[in-house]
Amino acid sequence: MKKRYAIHFSIIMILAVLLSACGKTTSESTQTGQSGTITISGAFALYPMMTRWAEEYQKLYPDVQFDVSAGGAGKGLTDALAGAVDIGMVSRTVTQEEQDKGAYPIAVTKDAVFPVINSSNPAYSEIMAQGITRDMFIKIFITGEITTWGEVIGDPSVVDEIHVYTRSDACGAAEMWAKFMGGVQDDLVGIGVNADPGILQAVISDPLGIGYNNLGYAFDLSTGLPTAGATAVPIDLNENRTADPDEVADTLETAVELIASEKYPSPPARLEFLVTNGKPEGLVQNFIVWILTDGQSFVAEAGYVQLTDVQIEESLGLVR
Amino acid sequence: MGMKKKWRKRHIIETLFKGIMFLSSSVVVFCLGYILWTIIIKGLPALSWEMISQVPQGGYYLGKEGGILNAIIGSLYLATGGTLLALLISLPIALYMETYMGTSRWGNLVRLALDVLWGIPSIVYGAFGFTIMLAIGMRASLLGGIIVLALLEIPIMVRAMDEVIRQMPKDLEQAALAIGSTKLEVALHVVIRQMLPGIVSAVLLAFGRGIGDAASVLFTAGYTDRIPTSLMSPTASLPLAIFFQLSTPFPEVQQRAYAAALVLTIIVLVISLGSRWLSSRLEKFVIK
Amino acid sequence: MSMRGTPRKHFSLDMDDRETRSSVSVRKRREVRVKSLFFLITLIPVGLLIVISIALAIRAWPILQQYSLNDLLLGEVWKPQKGFFGFLPFIAGTFWVTIFGVLLAAPPCFFAAVYLSEYARRTTRAIAKPLLDLLAAIPSVVYGVWGMVAIVPLISTHISPFCKRYLGFLPFFTSDNPTGYSILAGAIVLAVMITPFIISITYEVLSVVPQGTREASLALGATRWHTAWHVVLPQVSGGIGAGIVLGASRALGETMAVLMVVGNVAQMPKSIFDAAYPLSALIANNYGEMMSIPLYDSALLGAALFLIGIILVFNILSVIILKGVLGKSWV
Repeated sequence: MKKRYAIHFSIIMILAVLLSACGKTTSESTQTGQSGTITISGAFALYPMMTRWAEEYQKLYPDVQFDVSAGGAGKGLTDALAGAVDIGMVSRTVTQEEQDKGAYPIAVTKDAVFPVINSSNPAYSEIMAQGITRDMFIKIFITGEITTWGEVIGDPSVVDEIHVYTRSDACGAAEMWAKFMGGVQDDLVGIGVNADPGILQAVISDPLGIGYNNLGYAFDLSTGLPTAGATAVPIDLNENRTADPDEVADTLETAVELIASEKYPSPPARLEFLVTNGKPEGLVQNFIVWILTDGQSFVAEAGYVQLTDVQIEESLGLVR
Repeated sequence: MGMKKKWRKRHIIETLFKGIMFLSSSVVVFCLGYILWTIIIKGLPALSWEMISQVPQGGYYLGKEGGILNAIIGSLYLATGGTLLALLISLPIALYMETYMGTSRWGNLVRLALDVLWGIPSIVYGAFGFTIMLAIGMRASLLGGIIVLALLEIPIMVRAMDEVIRQMPKDLEQAALAIGSTKLEVALHVVIRQMLPGIVSAVLLAFGRGIGDAASVLFTAGYTDRIPTSLMSPTASLPLAIFFQLSTPFPEVQQRAYAAALVLTIIVLVISLGSRWLSSRLEKFVIK
Repeated sequence: MSMRGTPRKHFSLDMDDRETRSSVSVRKRREVRVKSLFFLITLIPVGLLIVISIALAIRAWPILQQYSLNDLLLGEVWKPQKGFFGFLPFIAGTFWVTIFGVLLAAPPCFFAAVYLSEYARRTTRAIAKPLLDLLAAIPSVVYGVWGMVAIVPLISTHISPFCKRYLGFLPFFTSDNPTGYSILAGAIVLAVMITPFIISITYEVLSVVPQGTREASLALGATRWHTAWHVVLPQVSGGIGAGIVLGASRALGETMAVLMVVGNVAQMPKSIFDAAYPLSALIANNYGEMMSIPLYDSALLGAALFLIGIILVFNILSVIILKGVLGKSWV
């Protein structure tokens, strides 16, 4: 008897809890006014930045709630198009097909991918003095014709193998790096490591390794210097076999300057986008406008580059 | 003389296998210890009272203040809800299979289906759940996460319970049937009591799987920096918290990921110890 | 409980003077109702499997239409942006990693479980069980990181050179891969991950063996190992087999941890030190990016469907093999 009552009782309790929980709904983002919830998902690259922006925005408008999740640029795009989130964070260019489906990309910040080698590479000083040309990068990362570090620096006596690392997960960084060399992520050869920190770790642990990383990973954001153990290789753009000052990014500050002044090529520098389903309105629109104006000041500490005024105008034109 | 030789041979075999068993157990313990050691060494420095008592403040993923309380509570909600739901479904299935299906073709078919379901990568569950949720217009929420976790956990729960039931000696059941109980009564009163420790074990295995899984909740429970207040709000979870923090460029944040892993480990340890104690209390129902 | 068979009276008094429903027909009816309810619930797993398979098949249909099954399953080139969807390297990768993971895990787990059940003291058990639960709950991400931090370097600095030197004549043990990101790393991580499942289930089935049979055997003079091997185990060999199959299924489906250590190079592996790319890693790595390339999402979900197919075949084979090996003890 007692047992039966206990079971009935617990069932009723569970139902009561469920019903009460279902009754409450989260507020939808409203068309007017500064209150409501904005849901965001997408690229890992933008995730720390977005949470920072969300925090600052909430200081101004405490009634606005944010739900931010990562999951990759592709997920952000899918979610935005499906209406599962209000804003998708996408760390690569949005293709025409995706735009045809309704994706509305707005550039909000800039980022860049840097080729990275280990600081204890036997040929380190030569590599840093000469830089590596785009053509050589192609032969390292795509065709695999260059296999030793000696070939890179032009010294046949150095026979150390090049250990190439690439990103195994489909990501903006790999896509942009490949684009720089005229290909796509699938063309990149090398051991596939998961995620930005992963590939950085792989290079740091391997003196003969070469990989590529986003600005925020290649440089230590708190010190402004290259991350311990790994260094960004200068890209020898004018192919004069020396690393000119305009090609060397030895500190975070110089790197940012190179990107902002567009001396660093795009790709692998790239714009980061926020994608909405169609033109944004109301709450979301206000937020994005804020990102493009006051929000830009928070960008540097997260390891990104502010947009130029021209770019900001363009984006604002898309939003307003 | 023949006896002594035989005895000696047996003694050697016994010692040999004892050695193998000891070695094997040591290897297992060693690996476990190694993992725990790695988690502790890397996570303890970053573990602080704030970590477990606060939700992330805005710059959290950039290295600033806050904690993972959202993920802790979220994970507890998700895993507890999912495991309870799974238990509610698994127990009837296991009992039904034993009582009515036994080793019939139906029974083996269900077992096969469960084993296949168990092998499906959790990302498929997540994707599947996400697709359904989109179709019915549900956004990422606690409820979605609970349902997908339950689906994920059912196979292991049922199979673990099933194996225990099948190996149980049947005399108790037969005795109960002999005095006129219906099959249902036997199942509910006799079998459940006998397998209570087995139920606890199955529930723990499933719970562990559920609370530690990232791919399934990524698509269905979403993520948020707040503590969920209703079944329809998105929820953070510890595995995702770990995943996201590991992916940031800040070493302090990456260290926090280890701290989060440590917290998760401690939660599981506490729950498992509690349940094991419960299980030993329930041992008295088991007749061997 | 006193029993009165007449349907007229539905209530009777038992020894405590409480009213109980004891009429046979009432109990019978209750049983029928509950039986139907339970039956419906039991249909859930089978139903779910069918629904998932159908959903995947629908999404994978476009690619199945464009490419022949031969091209897909036996093709060795994977360059989706150029239209090459050869799954063979991934299928091979899945097989290599899973088989070695199970091979590495099964013997130690088996012996450890026997030890726990037949030899260990109460305190040892009391400590071991929560430890196993812990192992089962550690998120895959953490296993992956542990693998990257501890196992991968171990392989590249110690295990790989060692094998090259002493076992180098076997192509199985040598490789060009200079890093530790390899099948072996994946196998080791998987082995540790499935350990709690195999040990737990093996232990549980061993513990329901009636103590009487053990005592009888010991009384006759058998050693403990002898008792375990000849008396206890044969009774539960089916259960142990199931435990191993369960562990293997878990290994087949494991995604996160493996993809962090296995190298993710789409090639046909020839050695355990080669990098490989299991199907589950393929799905996980690219699931987010499916929209941009035509047929990509179709291909990935087709991969998921293949994986389910592999798991299905694997499970069926296991049942057949286990039945054959264990004979009538596999109930």
